[in-house]
Amino acid sequence: MAKRTALYLTLIIGAFVSVFPYLLVALTALKTPRQLNSTQPWEPGLPPTLGNLGKVLDSGFTGYLGNSLLMTAALTAGQLVFTTFAAYAFARLRFRGRDVLFWLYVATMMVPSAVTMIPLFLIMRELHLVNTWWGLLAPYLLGTPYGIFLMRQFFRALPAGLEDAARIDGAGPLTILLRIVLPLSRPALGTLAIITVIASWNNFMWPLIITSGDDTKVVTVGIAGLKGAIGVDPNQMTAAALIALVPMVAVFVAFQRYIVRSVVLTGLK
Amino acid sequence: MTSDAGHLTGRTADTSPGPQPDSSSDLRPDAPPGSRSDAPPGPKPEPTPGPAPEPAPEPPSGTGSRTTKATRKRHRPTRHWYAYLFIAPSLFGVFAFLLLPLLIVFVLSLFHWELLSTPTFAGLANYRRLAGDGGTWHSVWVTVLFVLLSVPLQTVLGLLLALLLNQRVKGVAFYRALFVVPWMATPIVMGVVWTWIFDPRDGALNRVLDVVGVAGPNWLTDPAWALPSVALVNVWQFSGYTMLFFLAGLQGVPQELYDAAATDGASPVQRFFQITLPLLNPTTFFVTVTNLVGAFQIFDTVYAMTDGGPGNGTEVLNFRIYETAFRQFDFGYAATLAALLFLLILAVTLAQVRFFSKRTTYDLS
Repeated sequence: MAKRTALYLTLIIGAFVSVFPYLLVALTALKTPRQLNSTQPWEPGLPPTLGNLGKVLDSGFTGYLGNSLLMTAALTAGQLVFTTFAAYAFARLRFRGRDVLFWLYVATMMVPSAVTMIPLFLIMRELHLVNTWWGLLAPYLLGTPYGIFLMRQFFRALPAGLEDAARIDGAGPLTILLRIVLPLSRPALGTLAIITVIASWNNFMWPLIITSGDDTKVVTVGIAGLKGAIGVDPNQMTAAALIALVPMVAVFVAFQRYIVRSVVLTGLK
Repeated sequence: MTSDAGHLTGRTADTSPGPQPDSSSDLRPDAPPGSRSDAPPGPKPEPTPGPAPEPAPEPPSGTGSRTTKATRKRHRPTRHWYAYLFIAPSLFGVFAFLLLPLLIVFVLSLFHWELLSTPTFAGLANYRRLAGDGGTWHSVWVTVLFVLLSVPLQTVLGLLLALLLNQRVKGVAFYRALFVVPWMATPIVMGVVWTWIFDPRDGALNRVLDVVGVAGPNWLTDPAWALPSVALVNVWQFSGYTMLFFLAGLQGVPQELYDAAATDGASPVQRFFQITLPLLNPTTFFVTVTNLVGAFQIFDTVYAMTDGGPGNGTEVLNFRIYETAFRQFDFGYAATLAALLFLLILAVTLAQVRFFSKRTTYDLS
């Protein structure tokens, strides 16, 4: 019995450590500066205020939030479309060089993004795409090798019988993919979408490098700039953090089973 | 760039003569052992994506089959020309935004270039400079230290959490979800939040320590504490996600093995080291490789928390690359540092492949 208690105690402590920075963000963002000074960090400020959030949103974060949403939507759409086509080809179609090309994809999964940042910037500069939407989106718009790897694993596990039957009935490749394969692939597509949404929303280094104006500034870059501009103002920093974190928390709460499934999809189970 | 990609596609195509038995599954060192055999003992309820049955679109041409389809296929396997259309956009992306940049890094490392000047060929001058550049080797050391402070801890913690959750626990899904929450936290945002938690006077951490009567250090400005503090944030962020992989791995370990071992009188500790750990090898491999590759590239957290400081105490290699390129505009030398980072990560990954491939040679069937 004591063993069970210890087990649950450990789990509860672990769960608390996992979420307490989020709680702290919410508590502090809703405090006035005076309440901040008169309370401990873990105590709520009563009555809560929305003043910090309003101030941060007015200082440009409404626009950054819109840009982050737009970027995330575009990259997720691109990933879903292009990855699906490529992964299906690698999983089911026969063509010269398939295995070599797939091997190449797997190898590029190992190329660290940190290494490609400088050349990517120079390529965009050469194409006059610095500080433009195209420059911001281009490197990730056509899908990622990891996404293709994930989807190929899934497609390969689908029974081929349905596709064969459709082919015998005269269905073309597009019809087979769109009408037969995709409806069966909703779980995998959901997983791919969630992973891409989170990665796009959280991306910081590339937007930091490639954008400078407010037209293309995303939330992550906005927060880094805020820190430089106002120094340590816990109220406003946490308010900005809350604005950046809430969308991902919402996504997570709604779709966390898809995230769990991403692990199974890698074929490690 | 398009023609470049096309050219290379044509070339690679020549090296692959005819349809091969799908050799790509051999690429995955993490493939579960024995899973390639077609008849696993016991029913397999769900088509989990492991190495699936041969993805060939045509049915295996049985010798007796006399349908027109089968005979036609047997003589000349169908090639799907439209497959190239399917992969074209993604292939262009891989070449233009991954392989070409990788090539550029190595070419650029042979040039002097400060963005506004014209690039001049420098031979190995950048590499000679690198050899004597104490600041960069310090950064390499800081990076290695950061990796050693974070990756082993988050791997062990991930495994421990998975072992806890793999028992009969009420609310598994609930705990599992909460443990994964840090993983999706925006690193730059959480860096800012943790900076405040670590604040020596008003931060939550030192306030808590105050309550129990301990005077906390200046976490982020004390050279002894800054790097461990940043590493701790990484551990916080990725332990739960690591747990997810171990949990999936643990559920693949057949219960009969434990039962048999228990009958033979093996202690729980023996069972863990003789059964669980060896069978988790593919998972451990995957988890450590991805965690290492990520940790070697740490940037956001350092940018938000310490800006490389105090002094250059947390100036990890990726941060130094960024500074060299985008604060000093020394692109040639920054490319040299990026090449160094690439080779470092490659070497560590290959070492891992060797280490684990030696230890994953059992067969359950």
